[in-house]
Amino acid sequence: MHVTNSLLALIRLKKLNQYSRYVSYNMALGICIGISSSSASTITVPDDNSQLPWQQLKNSAQNQDVYFHTWGGDPQINAYIQWVADEVEDKYNINLVHVKLSDTSEAVSRVLAEKSANNDKQGNVDLIWINGANFATMSENSLLLKDWAMNLPNFALTDPNNNPSVTLDFGVPTDGMEAPWGQASLTFYYDSLAIDKPPATLAELTSWTQKNPGRFSYPKPPDFLGMSFLKYALVMLHEQKDAQTGTNISAALNQPVSETNRDLVLNPLWDLLDKWHPSLWRNGQQFPQSGAQMRRLVDDTELSLAFTFSGPEVPAAVQRYDLPTSIRSYAMSDGSLSNTHFVAIPYNASHPEAAQLVANFLLSPEAQARKQDPSVWGDKTVLVPTTLSIEQQALFKTTKPHPSALAFDAIKRTVSEPHPSWVDAIIQGWQTRYGVSK
Amino acid sequence: MSQSLDDPQKPSAQTANMNSVVPYKVDRFTRLVTLSPIFLLILLLLPVLGGLISVLLPAFGWIPAIEKTTFGLQGFEALWQTPGLTQMIALSVATGLISTLLAFVSTLMILAAFFNSVWLTRIERLLSPILVIPHAAAAIAIGFLIAPSGMIARLLSPWLSGWELAPQGIFPHDPYGISIILGLVLKELPFLLLISLGALAQPELGKKLRLNYKVALNLGYYPITAFFKAVFPVLYPLLRLPLLAVLAYASASVEMPLILGPNTPPTLAVTIMQWFSDVNLNLRIKASAGAILQLLLTGSLIALWLGAEKIIKILSSHSLINGKRHYIDGIWQKSTIALTVLMIGFIALALIGLVIWSVAGYWRFPAVLPEQLVLMHFQSAFTQMSTPLFHTVTIGITSTAFAIILTLLCLESEQLSNKSISSFTSLIIYLPLLVPSIAFLFGLVWLQQLFNNQAAFLNVTFTHLLFVLPYVFLSLASSYRHLDARFANVAASLGATPIKVFLQVKLPQLLTPILIAIALGLAISFGQYLPTLLAGGGRIATITTEAVTLANGASRRTSAVYAIIQMILPLFGFVLAWLLPKYFFRSGAR
Repeated sequence: MHVTNSLLALIRLKKLNQYSRYVSYNMALGICIGISSSSASTITVPDDNSQLPWQQLKNSAQNQDVYFHTWGGDPQINAYIQWVADEVEDKYNINLVHVKLSDTSEAVSRVLAEKSANNDKQGNVDLIWINGANFATMSENSLLLKDWAMNLPNFALTDPNNNPSVTLDFGVPTDGMEAPWGQASLTFYYDSLAIDKPPATLAELTSWTQKNPGRFSYPKPPDFLGMSFLKYALVMLHEQKDAQTGTNISAALNQPVSETNRDLVLNPLWDLLDKWHPSLWRNGQQFPQSGAQMRRLVDDTELSLAFTFSGPEVPAAVQRYDLPTSIRSYAMSDGSLSNTHFVAIPYNASHPEAAQLVANFLLSPEAQARKQDPSVWGDKTVLVPTTLSIEQQALFKTTKPHPSALAFDAIKRTVSEPHPSWVDAIIQGWQTRYGVSK
Repeated sequence: MSQSLDDPQKPSAQTANMNSVVPYKVDRFTRLVTLSPIFLLILLLLPVLGGLISVLLPAFGWIPAIEKTTFGLQGFEALWQTPGLTQMIALSVATGLISTLLAFVSTLMILAAFFNSVWLTRIERLLSPILVIPHAAAAIAIGFLIAPSGMIARLLSPWLSGWELAPQGIFPHDPYGISIILGLVLKELPFLLLISLGALAQPELGKKLRLNYKVALNLGYYPITAFFKAVFPVLYPLLRLPLLAVLAYASASVEMPLILGPNTPPTLAVTIMQWFSDVNLNLRIKASAGAILQLLLTGSLIALWLGAEKIIKILSSHSLINGKRHYIDGIWQKSTIALTVLMIGFIALALIGLVIWSVAGYWRFPAVLPEQLVLMHFQSAFTQMSTPLFHTVTIGITSTAFAIILTLLCLESEQLSNKSISSFTSLIIYLPLLVPSIAFLFGLVWLQQLFNNQAAFLNVTFTHLLFVLPYVFLSLASSYRHLDARFANVAASLGATPIKVFLQVKLPQLLTPILIAIALGLAISFGQYLPTLLAGGGRIATITTEAVTLANGASRRTSAVYAIIQMILPLFGFVLAWLLPKYFFRSGAR
């Protein structure tokens, strides 16, 4: 039964592609209707036209289960996903089961294990929260369902034609294998009782740690956040160097790693870390396991300065007593590394239709606005305001910002992610150099 | 748990049933009973061996899923080249061996210092709550205590230490594995103590040992010396298998090193688990090779232990009979008391810290108490806890019920056939506890994937059964074997069928041991982390998987809440096991 359903869905999806222009026209129309009727309906395709592929998909998705695999270390995000589960239950009678992972790669290896056991139709994972290296791995190994994301009615609200950040994942084209969910920038936060004026550039940060040994660290690679910090450092190092020497090594960061340029690009980073590590937390002999653990160390006052990829989690943590009230957020003045995170559907998902319906709901103004609310999660929306109605835009208005929150205009300059192949190169180099404490 | 497998006394089936040879009529029930030991064997052997084989193939490079179908040694070559492999092995071996040794020695010291004293049962009662605390929860509680911003540092700051911010420390996550050893010792000691007291509670053996001890005292031996010379040599064989299980567990466990251990590098078992779940799928080969290495490592540790046992036996045979009456007994006595007090104080402080964190508002270092107490963390946890709680309880009940029924049938078959199950079977019952689970679980999951991948709930329940069954069996065996056979004989001679004797004569007499076995089975099932995570493919969340996921996460307060729930659940079972018989027997006596 499930098998035939998903096969039918695949056939429908293929047809859907041919109609994609027609669909987006309809979607645009739908949005106009949405504006004039000011209804809060999230799926803006007119409901009366039951011949539309999306409508068929919607019908077949009713009453299905969706196993949504996400990193589960943050209670706030977990609570938001619980809200999503309640909403899709009400709206579509979908039973969304949140599977909390301690690392997203667990779900990736699960799908692989299923492929190895020839389970091509009844996979355990229906929807997965993903980006960067995990996405690159899954897409290389053909573990993801293709060509569906652009057909989600709400995808048009991200203005995909003028907004490459929703179709490129760390520079790799998504090819409709994943739908954007949120946007993140590297945000720093500090304990104002321990620091008067926080360091605002990479150079200031290194000299600050020399003066305050043991009060800063970064999550141990291959942790996502730790890698992001190293990428930020790498980009900044080369921007400085290029400006001083007139070379253009920075450009290599947007290309795949090659044997010839690997050392040229990475050696400056290793030089920096060699000098820096002894002044980090536990003398650089032990690293926090994750960004979440790093945040806890700030609460413990072991660290005085830390960073996150999801700025709004900082005031939220203060409200939940997980950080002291003296915490303040800020962005580095030399640049903030930014990227988009996505949801994807494995090729063998048991319930791909319902998963798409959920992905579409995640992109709805209602869900995106709630997600951006600092008291809920505070993850920046991927929707583009110009595509929204006045009423929909009003959903995103926030009340008075929390004192620990990042100021509205704090991010002066964003820096994009290097090519994902650099992640592996950094992980390997890091592991050989610092993975084993001396 | 208390019945040893190569118990030299073996007061069990033979003696108890000496005069119980009653020919019985073969019916459906007796056929089921006689088949049950074979079923037990298959149930335990197949998954473990199947799992081991399924991890052996990838170790030699055979994973069809990523188009690797040539056999070779590339996995082992990659393993040798892992940076820090020696440290990982050293950390696993050192923490496993030292923690087992320390737990064993402390158990002996407590037994020796308090033998025949009321304090022995009091200490056991004080420590037994630790027994039911899952490893993850214990690790979380200990982490709270020893961290640089932990309870101990707070009590000393800033008045003594001058610390306004948390100091630079090395605990937890210290590179030497001291935190791991501390956690394992505190967790395993109550287990070994309970096993020893269980052995001493056996009527014949206990009487004999107490008599030996009394004779030794009368001959002028000092108490501790008397214990080591007159009691220990008889007691040790009963402790051997449980000790080896502790050693195997300690050398290959995942929760404790994950929560308390270092990460540059972690222990071998933790590394293997990380490789297995890495995005880079080629790491599977290296991970499987690592699992084989872990197996060899644990095997060598067991061999080393058995070898050391022989050597110590030879070396100490002279001093056993040299007639020396004391070896600085007074100092040993005092230091054991000090150690026991310290340990109980440490545990109490850890638990108090855990409770405070679960209701803490802002709690900046170095304040000893939080600025405000809030119930928010419990409230928000409860809203998300219903599914994990439901899974935890249903899986626990299902696997325990199955384990109890199978155990009772197997033990009944002993009495029907009038002989103890073979020592081979006894060893197999321990198999899931002796083989490092990290080595066979991945293979087992792969096998389960092949057969029924949709039934995550069933897979988890079945995998839990592998770990619940040994404990339930060991806990029930002794009581069952010591049942007074005369009741059954009288019933049989009055014409009662075997099934009637079983249900109406034997089981009611065993109500208390059965309830305790149920509580123990539930506690074991509640605490399983790796089996739940792997067999359920992450789809089955239990309180324990949630607690471990949250332990290294952002919120001390939320992980405290989960750890507390983790402790309360099994405790609930034991309280019921303690109350129900009282209720039944009181109403029965009326």
